[in-house]
Amino acid sequence: MRGLGTIWRRELAGLFVAPLAWVLLAVAFALNGWIFVAILKERNGDLITALRFMGGESLTYWAFMCFLPPLLTMRLISEESRNGMLEFLLTAPVSDGAVVLGKFLAAWSFMGLFWSANLVYAAALHALGAPPDWPPVLGGYLGALLVSGLFCAIGLLTSAATSTPALAAFLALVGNTLILLLPQLAGLFDAAWLHEEVAAVDVISHFQRSFLVGVLDTKSLAFFVAWTGFFLFLASRSVEAKRWR
Amino acid sequence: MIVATHLSRRFGPLLAVDDLSFQIEAGEVVGFLGPNGAGKTTTLRILAGFLPATSGSASVAGFDVLRQSMEVRKRIGYLAESVPLYGEHRVEEMLDFQGRLHGMSRADRRRRVPEVLERVGVLDRRRQLVGHLSRGLRQRVGLATALLPDPEVLILDEPTSGLDPLQRIEVRRLIADLAGEHTLIVSSHILPEIEAVCPRVLILSRGRLAADGSREELVRTLGGGSRVRVELASGAARGGPGLPGAADRLRAIPGVERLRERDAVEGVLAFDLDCEVDLRPAVGELARREGWTLRELSWREATLEELFARIALELDEELPQESTEAAASPEADA
Repeated sequence: MRGLGTIWRRELAGLFVAPLAWVLLAVAFALNGWIFVAILKERNGDLITALRFMGGESLTYWAFMCFLPPLLTMRLISEESRNGMLEFLLTAPVSDGAVVLGKFLAAWSFMGLFWSANLVYAAALHALGAPPDWPPVLGGYLGALLVSGLFCAIGLLTSAATSTPALAAFLALVGNTLILLLPQLAGLFDAAWLHEEVAAVDVISHFQRSFLVGVLDTKSLAFFVAWTGFFLFLASRSVEAKRWR
Repeated sequence: MIVATHLSRRFGPLLAVDDLSFQIEAGEVVGFLGPNGAGKTTTLRILAGFLPATSGSASVAGFDVLRQSMEVRKRIGYLAESVPLYGEHRVEEMLDFQGRLHGMSRADRRRRVPEVLERVGVLDRRRQLVGHLSRGLRQRVGLATALLPDPEVLILDEPTSGLDPLQRIEVRRLIADLAGEHTLIVSSHILPEIEAVCPRVLILSRGRLAADGSREELVRTLGGGSRVRVELASGAARGGPGLPGAADRLRAIPGVERLRERDAVEGVLAFDLDCEVDLRPAVGELARREGWTLRELSWREATLEELFARIALELDEELPQESTEAAASPEADA
């Protein structure tokens, strides 16, 4: 896909040029590190529990998962649409899909870097002579990447559909929260079929039953890839729709 | 090179471009002239492949702008009015990014980037952040970005917008330099910009093509603004009988299309004779025969500005002389 790599590199560099990315990374790493150490102390050095907690069982983890992608993606299309950069990109010989995918990959790469903190903790422990259980650590990382990818795709869709970054971030945050709380919301209704349907699309359950226990379940893998692809497709169509408005 | 056929573009209830048809040959330099909201930017965006037309079709270098958009985009350099550039990039990084988007090899980019930066006069600013540049320098960098892939067609939307007079002259010179190397389309709502660089002018009004041709052709075929101005001392101020029948005699001169009586000071009769050719000799001869005292006998050719004002702003009256002369001079705003 022509221009994809170029746009990905530029957007990633663009994220790191702005102070927001550094602030997010600094705050998140510091908070992560502090919680990790606190849990290690509380559990008398139980590494497996601490790594599982940091890798997908804590509220902080899901809060980061919910908040970070919208903050990263909010400006990627909406702001460029306002300042004319989207016009620049879409009159260059690159497709709408390459523009959307390039921006998605940049945000996703950033999230990949962000979640690598857990890999660093595990590697550090390994180097210090306390090897962790690697399959859940690596599975958790892969799962984190997949959930982040899904939320980045949702963020890009809201960024493409609105003209103000703040509104894009808010809508994406609401969307992510609703997706994560879907089982609780379905629980409000007394309908067995609804509970079954919602269980099939429950992000947390797909993540915790598969990746977090170190098992690569292709069904869960396909679930995340398909939904991410679906939202990216909608984002691409939304960019195209801007031409017709 | 560029063919637009019955092009229309609607934004909700607003018809921004209305049944526009024109053809531009390779190597031509064409100015799109029209007041704000005339449909210039929309037309250029359609040609650049950014906006689809609601109806009609357009092609660039034989490729349909909608169905073969990628082929069209490879062949055009487009500079939007807002001069979109990444402020956090250095000048040469911005151009390198554009080169990559156009699939230029590293060797081509290394050769071409300094070449175009020198061409637009910002080579010494290549390490500067785009966001720190003045409006005029940004405009030059934008032009360099559009020029980088050496496009067959260069589309510049309001390239002098927001510039000070000196910067405008510099950008105009740059555009004039590019003529002959590219098919050039330049849009502006400022007449002198277009007159200075474009041998052919397309005047748009309310989304429609109101006129198309060279300045001289337009003035000749649509003009109707040429006139002989006559001022006669009537004698009435000195207690004389005045000049009864002067207007009828002037009107009877062969070639006079219309006679308009103008306000004048007491004792003076002032007329404008609309005519296609210079009738001063005939008026002078008539004055000599009738014994009239001539206070003024002058010939004014129609200007493109008058034509533009009449077409675009739907005026039918002459513009004040001062404003006409000032605006008709290419360097008048400098």
